Amino acid sequence: MNEEAKREYYERYIASIHRLGRIMSVIVLVMLLAAPFVIGAYLGAMPNIGAFLKGFLSIGLVYLVSCIAEYLIYVPMLGAGGSYLAFMTGNLINMKIPCAMTAKDIVGAKSGTAENEIISTLSIAASSLVTIVVLALGVVMLIPLQPVLQSPSLQPAFDNVVPALFGAMAYKYYRGNLKIAAVPLLVMAVLFILVPGLTGSTSFMIIPSGAIAIGLAYLYHRRAK
Amino acid sequence: MIQQLNSPVLYLICGAIVLFVALVCVFFAIRAYRAGKAIGIDESKLKQTVVASVTFAILPSVGILLGVIALSGSLGIPWPWLRLSVIGALHYETQVAEAAAEAVGLDGLSASQMTAEAFSTIALLMSVCIMWGMVFCIFTCKGYTARLTAGSKGNASGSPDGAAGKAGAQAEASGATTKKKGAFAGFGDKAMTAMFIGLVSAYIGSYLGGWISGGGKGIFAFGGSWLPLAVAACGAAAMAVFTLIKEKAKAEWVDSFSIAGSMLIAMTCAIFLGRLI
Repeated sequence: MNEEAKREYYERYIASIHRLGRIMSVIVLVMLLAAPFVIGAYLGAMPNIGAFLKGFLSIGLVYLVSCIAEYLIYVPMLGAGGSYLAFMTGNLINMKIPCAMTAKDIVGAKSGTAENEIISTLSIAASSLVTIVVLALGVVMLIPLQPVLQSPSLQPAFDNVVPALFGAMAYKYYRGNLKIAAVPLLVMAVLFILVPGLTGSTSFMIIPSGAIAIGLAYLYHRRAK
Repeated sequence: MIQQLNSPVLYLICGAIVLFVALVCVFFAIRAYRAGKAIGIDESKLKQTVVASVTFAILPSVGILLGVIALSGSLGIPWPWLRLSVIGALHYETQVAEAAAEAVGLDGLSASQMTAEAFSTIALLMSVCIMWGMVFCIFTCKGYTARLTAGSKGNASGSPDGAAGKAGAQAEASGATTKKKGAFAGFGDKAMTAMFIGLVSAYIGSYLGGWISGGGKGIFAFGGSWLPLAVAACGAAAMAVFTLIKEKAKAEWVDSFSIAGSMLIAMTCAIFLGRLI
């Protein structure tokens, strides 16, 4: 195949990746959105739309902003095929991005080449399949353990999944950012102490807390320039 | 309720979606491999990519599996399996599930309070909150990558990869856009970190407030439970140890387990600390 033929082939490949990526993404999206309703029908209770909207207003908007930022940053790194797959399969920061970058480094693919596009797509497809297989095997092994996992003595553990997560994340994010973290933490602690009723609306409090942290970060960013 | 959440029907629904996404991955991988060969990429490089990616992904996948275990007590096994196999990430899923649980009127993400309506609402909110990357891909990926290609045309024309380099310049985005975004990119990272600091602060503040003024006994009565705060402290301590190991032993792989591992350690602490209450 000469250079011209290769170029034409690659252009056709990219066009087909966009077409297939869109079709597959729409199908997966419909499946993911339908699943709660199908499960709701099976369980005998459909989602509560009022509660859904309340939840979306409190935390959904935070993730919308986060998703926009991730999309703008990661698509240039991953290329077309890699992006469709990565956003479909998730776990971007903790797996897909470092995996694709590592593969790119190992084979020496240069940014701005077709090689990068192909390597990125292959890398993300392979890593996604590994996750799917590992999780499927793990789930099969977990099924016999269900009675143990549901035992009352383990309930305090499962009732505290979220504090366990936020403790770990607090260390991760506060470390090196204490100047930014101190004020929102103090403001939130004082608010929750003085208005205990707010505890039931913690997810709403993310908005002012996040605004304070972002405002401070911007202030320090400007000062540093 | 938890038994219903672990029923075969839920495994079937979630398993079907996971299987479909697995097939999509296989399909994309085959197409990319064939295209790579056709445009002249050395086949050994393609094989090396697959081997490197498979080996790289094993450890983080085990970490993700620990996340499924962590969420299985409150949401059953099938739903966390689906969410963490497809689209999700442990820290996102847990936060959204907690916010959704609050929105439907539960005290928090807890199996003991879970109802069918609460679960289906939580599941819907988890699906909607973390779907935007896919939505943007559907509507804008083609245009975005095309614009990036156009922005880097001059550079790509001189690419040593010849035809492949020219045509595939969209990945150049990393270079071209980085320069364009400049100062904004610098603050973008900080803003993301700050947003998560705000999010974590709201929850840690609520645990503190819940202990000091909660339990319906009045402000500063210390009538609430200290357990969430203690569990959060255990999670932070475990994370500190993981970070120390990573830095002292230069063991980058520890990162794959640090969040899920810290959570499991803190949850184990909850079992023992819970007996003190």
